[in-house]
Amino acid sequence: MAGHPSTSTQGHFLAFVDNLGAKVISIVRYTLEVCQMVYLCIRAAVFDQAQGLRTIFGVVSAQIYFTGWQALPLVSVLALAAGSIIVLQSATQLSLVGGQSMLGNLLVMIIIREVGPLVTALIVIARSGTAVASEIGNMRANREIEALEVMGINPLSYIVFPRLVGGVVSVVCLAFYFNAVALLGGFIVTRVINDMPFSFFADSLANAITIEDWGLFLLKNGFSGIIIFVVSCYQGMLVKQSSHEVPQVTTKAVVNSVIYVVTFNLIVTTLFYLNQLIKLGLI
Amino acid sequence: MKHMKGHEGLTSIETLSFSHAKFAYDRTKPIFTDLTVDVPMNSCIFVNGPNGSGQSTFLKLLAVLVQPQGGSYLINGVDTTDMSFEEFLPFRRKIGYTFDYGGLFANRTLLDNLALPLVYHKISTVQEAEAEIQELAARFKFDGQLEQRPAEVSGGLRKLVCVLRSFLTKPEMIVMDDPVTGIGPDGSGKLIELIRNKKETGELKHVFLTSREESWATRMGCKTLWIEKEKLHLREAERAA
Repeated sequence: MAGHPSTSTQGHFLAFVDNLGAKVISIVRYTLEVCQMVYLCIRAAVFDQAQGLRTIFGVVSAQIYFTGWQALPLVSVLALAAGSIIVLQSATQLSLVGGQSMLGNLLVMIIIREVGPLVTALIVIARSGTAVASEIGNMRANREIEALEVMGINPLSYIVFPRLVGGVVSVVCLAFYFNAVALLGGFIVTRVINDMPFSFFADSLANAITIEDWGLFLLKNGFSGIIIFVVSCYQGMLVKQSSHEVPQVTTKAVVNSVIYVVTFNLIVTTLFYLNQLIKLGLI
Repeated sequence: MKHMKGHEGLTSIETLSFSHAKFAYDRTKPIFTDLTVDVPMNSCIFVNGPNGSGQSTFLKLLAVLVQPQGGSYLINGVDTTDMSFEEFLPFRRKIGYTFDYGGLFANRTLLDNLALPLVYHKISTVQEAEAEIQELAARFKFDGQLEQRPAEVSGGLRKLVCVLRSFLTKPEMIVMDDPVTGIGPDGSGKLIELIRNKKETGELKHVFLTSREESWATRMGCKTLWIEKEKLHLREAERAA
């Protein structure tokens, strides 16, 4: 028997609200679990009296090597390309309106505040987030994580914490390198096209970079590193018994890392510019 | 009592008991819904029963690799179900556990796999650990393969290494999930010898195992703890070795 049309519409609407609520709850729960993992692994590392600094340092340096050092060629190419395009476009457009003196401000705004953190995070997610999630997933499937527990070694302090520390250091260093190469690449292109002297370019940049930019740089890149590695480790740890789960958790690690990093960058940027507007007395 | 090096602050295991414990991997298929038992101590217990009756799960619960989802598991009368990793560590270090498969680190050599718990907990220096492992490997005739990784050796040797690793930290209680399948008659005979020596010296007190090879468990002189439909019955050893 067909129901009354308005009752049916109301039913659809309630089902929609129901699904939306369930989705929001699952996202909040996931976020809390990931945050709890950060807390637990730091706590485990602090309380683990057996784990010496040498053990941590070994894994941290390996993580920096794989995540930071081995990513340099890819970061160089992308930074050079991104920097050249941005500087070329900016310089051309600014010269049309006679605003070349604003080049430094524009570059700081685009490259250091926005493009650098985002592109670096995407490179790290693609290269190292996947590697960490699949490595830990395979360790779960092969019962290596259980073996650690059996031996009285906390997997959170032995496996997760050093990867987190190494990952954060790598992301911050890679982002710094990305910015440097992008700006240098941008200058080279500008030099060829506009014959801009290096002193003008350097002065313009030096005047534009403020202490707030350094704070924003550390905040965005530091937290991107934490997000990428804790989400990847968390997803890897979700493998229960079988290796067929590994590609599934790896894919989810990538998707979730991208969503969290982009959302975080968006929130920070919004708050930063709101703060700027308040300082200028515009709101 | 004089403590062994690296064993300071550990807690001796005297009693184990389950009280109305519940456990299920999948909520729709519970393994235990009301497990209440005082586990027999100071002996060798062969946990046996029909396939799927929860023998391996019972061992995992004993070694606190999984936690009951209801009820409690008491060690020395202390409920372990809400303990953190650090709180449980004094008990954990007294329990050795061997897996029915896996459990070795794929990116480490057999030597490194064996040395990890000794060096991590500072029970031995790297040199002392290597010397002890060399001696043990020579006894079990795989000293020539210590520098190989798990993927480069036979499945039987992988299992043997996993079993031997659990003895290296000198646990009071050993929990072995099907330890001899694949390790051959020589390996299983030497394993009985090793366990017997450790029992005689008083280093090892409680042994719990499952095995597809019942005759091996019989040779060990184990009592059988039969699990069927969540009920546990103790049977005396049929024939002690």
